[in-house]
Amino acid sequence: MEEIIFSLNSVWLVLGALLVILMQGGFILLEAGSTRMKNAGHISGKTVFTFGLASIVFWAVGYGFIFGGNSNFFIGLSDFFYSGEQTGDMPYSTAAFFLFQLAFAGISLTIAFGGFAERAKLSAYLVFAILFSVLVYPVVAHWIWGGGWLAEHGKQDFAGSTVVHLTGAMAAFAATILLKPRIGKFNKNGTVNNIFGHNQVYTALGVIVLWVGWFGFNGGSTFVVDDGFFGFVALNTNIAAGAGAVAALIISWIVLGKSDIPTILNGALAGLVAITASCAFVETWASVVIGFVAGILVFYSVKFFDKLKVDDPIYALSVHGAAGVWGTLSTGLFATPELASVGQPGLFYGGGFSQLGVQAMGVSVSAIYAFAVSFAILYIMKKVMKGLRVSEEEEIIGLDVSEHGNYGYPEAFIANEEKNRIAN
Amino acid sequence: MSYMKIKQWRDSEIEKQESSYDLNAFHDLIMKQVFEAVLKKVKEEAGSPPCQYAWFVMGSAGRFEQAIISDQDHGIVYEEESEESGRYFKNLGKELAFGLNEAGYPYCDGNVMSSNPVWCRSKVSWNDQLAKWLNEESFDSIRYLLIFYDARVLEGEQEYILHLKKHIHDAIKEKPDLLERFLENTIHTKKAVGFFQQFLPETHGSHAGSIDIKQSGFLPYVNAVRLLALKESVKAASTLSRIEALSQLPKYGRELQDYKSGFEKLLHYRHMYHKKMTESYDDIHYLDVKELNKNERKELKQILKDGQKLQDYTQSVIKGMMRR
Repeated sequence: MEEIIFSLNSVWLVLGALLVILMQGGFILLEAGSTRMKNAGHISGKTVFTFGLASIVFWAVGYGFIFGGNSNFFIGLSDFFYSGEQTGDMPYSTAAFFLFQLAFAGISLTIAFGGFAERAKLSAYLVFAILFSVLVYPVVAHWIWGGGWLAEHGKQDFAGSTVVHLTGAMAAFAATILLKPRIGKFNKNGTVNNIFGHNQVYTALGVIVLWVGWFGFNGGSTFVVDDGFFGFVALNTNIAAGAGAVAALIISWIVLGKSDIPTILNGALAGLVAITASCAFVETWASVVIGFVAGILVFYSVKFFDKLKVDDPIYALSVHGAAGVWGTLSTGLFATPELASVGQPGLFYGGGFSQLGVQAMGVSVSAIYAFAVSFAILYIMKKVMKGLRVSEEEEIIGLDVSEHGNYGYPEAFIANEEKNRIAN
Repeated sequence: MSYMKIKQWRDSEIEKQESSYDLNAFHDLIMKQVFEAVLKKVKEEAGSPPCQYAWFVMGSAGRFEQAIISDQDHGIVYEEESEESGRYFKNLGKELAFGLNEAGYPYCDGNVMSSNPVWCRSKVSWNDQLAKWLNEESFDSIRYLLIFYDARVLEGEQEYILHLKKHIHDAIKEKPDLLERFLENTIHTKKAVGFFQQFLPETHGSHAGSIDIKQSGFLPYVNAVRLLALKESVKAASTLSRIEALSQLPKYGRELQDYKSGFEKLLHYRHMYHKKMTESYDDIHYLDVKELNKNERKELKQILKDGQKLQDYTQSVIKGMMRR
């Protein structure tokens, strides 16, 4: 019997890993759809190769920093260049667990790259992929999941609202600040231009792929299948996403007078990001509330960053940052005594402010760490690499051709080139 | 006067116009000056016009509702169906478009200008064209008919246009369904007041924070009143005189009078606001609500909401008529 359960758990973890890796496909669609045609090939390609790079770095050092032995409050210090060996009496294949964790590290990095979109040099992606995967993600992950100091504190972050989403968003934030806005985003009189994405269908498909992938992300984070708890986690995940989409539709309709599609799509994602921390700790009605609030929050967050003159092409700061913070705090309000396997029940379940305090402290420290270290890395990179950004000309002709010498949509552009040549 | 001189005159006087009415009278004067200069030039090259004709303006000029900057919309109808006349007036139309552009009226993006053979025709040919449009009922032909319906003669034979408009009126009497097609073509305007009675300004672009006063303010009034005018065979071209004429009919009575003052205020706001600043043709369609004081905002909001109400009212009139 035990053997069967061991196998089932391992299958579940690998399935979870596959779903989360498939989310890279969701991000390709989301990011390419939300940006312009001239960068589509570049965005798709860089996502694949940076995930490859992150996988190798995770194998070499990332996994060891998070889950390794000889650990201190800051990082773990064994299991580098992980051999695939089985550890102790874990109820599932350690290699499957490794793969699952690797997929998470890859998602956090891809979120961070949202802040690079449409203007960063390819070499900046390459170097930052390595440094983020060594210095930023593993540290926060160790603190909360690897037995680090926040885990001892009882911080609740079931599948990574803080660890994965907020960490990625903070790196994206640092990048947008150092890269500065895209050409044409802001006008001299202080108004903001809409730089429309080239394919809303891609963006929506991206959201659906991510939505489905999230069942691996959250459901897989139960690690084991024997009590069927993952079903409950999946249920909470789905209704929070639904509530986020509905809330975003309502708020955009009320405030803008029309139901804005990008806002609705962001709302669904914000609901997913928010429920990621709390999906295992709260009742279903609370999931609806958490998703709903996230959908409204993301709408105002986008406006807020526009006001700050921060150019966030695919809304990474709002969807993964603002909703990540909210999701982490939400367990401090809604965690129930029965479900709080880590930490304590929330404010609305007689837990007082103590868990909310733990959540607030954990989320702030993690955010500050992720931001400060990412900023420092990028700042030094900017100096050493003589800038993170492509030249104005390269940005205007698009990264497809300037960085890769080829177009994502060759037929759309080469015909134009021909015309220009004839005209000259 | 040369086009350059006309432009100088226009530029020096236009800011001084005290009201929207004065401004439009001034626009008429300028455009007539341009016509005179054009005709003089064409006469020198090709002699006098071979027959009677009418030169008419459409769009906001036709409705006597132009802003300080306005693009050109105009056409020609001439008496004689002949190759010679065709050549002569096509030439005249081309020079008119050129002259107006020189004098400060940008070319029309939609090519609704006398230089375009579609809008420069003999009487017979215009009759055929209107019949064709009325028959086609395609999106474009409906749009052309609505544009044509705002025609107002600036030079030449007044009755040519009245005669052509009568065609449209007759067609509608014969086939009232047309009104529904006109309605559908114009019903989609931008909402500018939201659920909580708040303004819904542009959120992006260089006009962020401003109301699209053309789409959300003028068009609901203009379209609704034009539609009622079509239904009741009103000949006038301007929105205000159309309301006046419609109010003579017992079934509209006082209903429309309130909208008249709203529309007058809208013209007034645009005029006062745009006098204060120099701007491009694009800017003319926007009104920055931050520039208004509290009372003005309240009043503008009411006007915008009334525009929607008028549209709803018109829709119910047209739909009600269809059901009967």
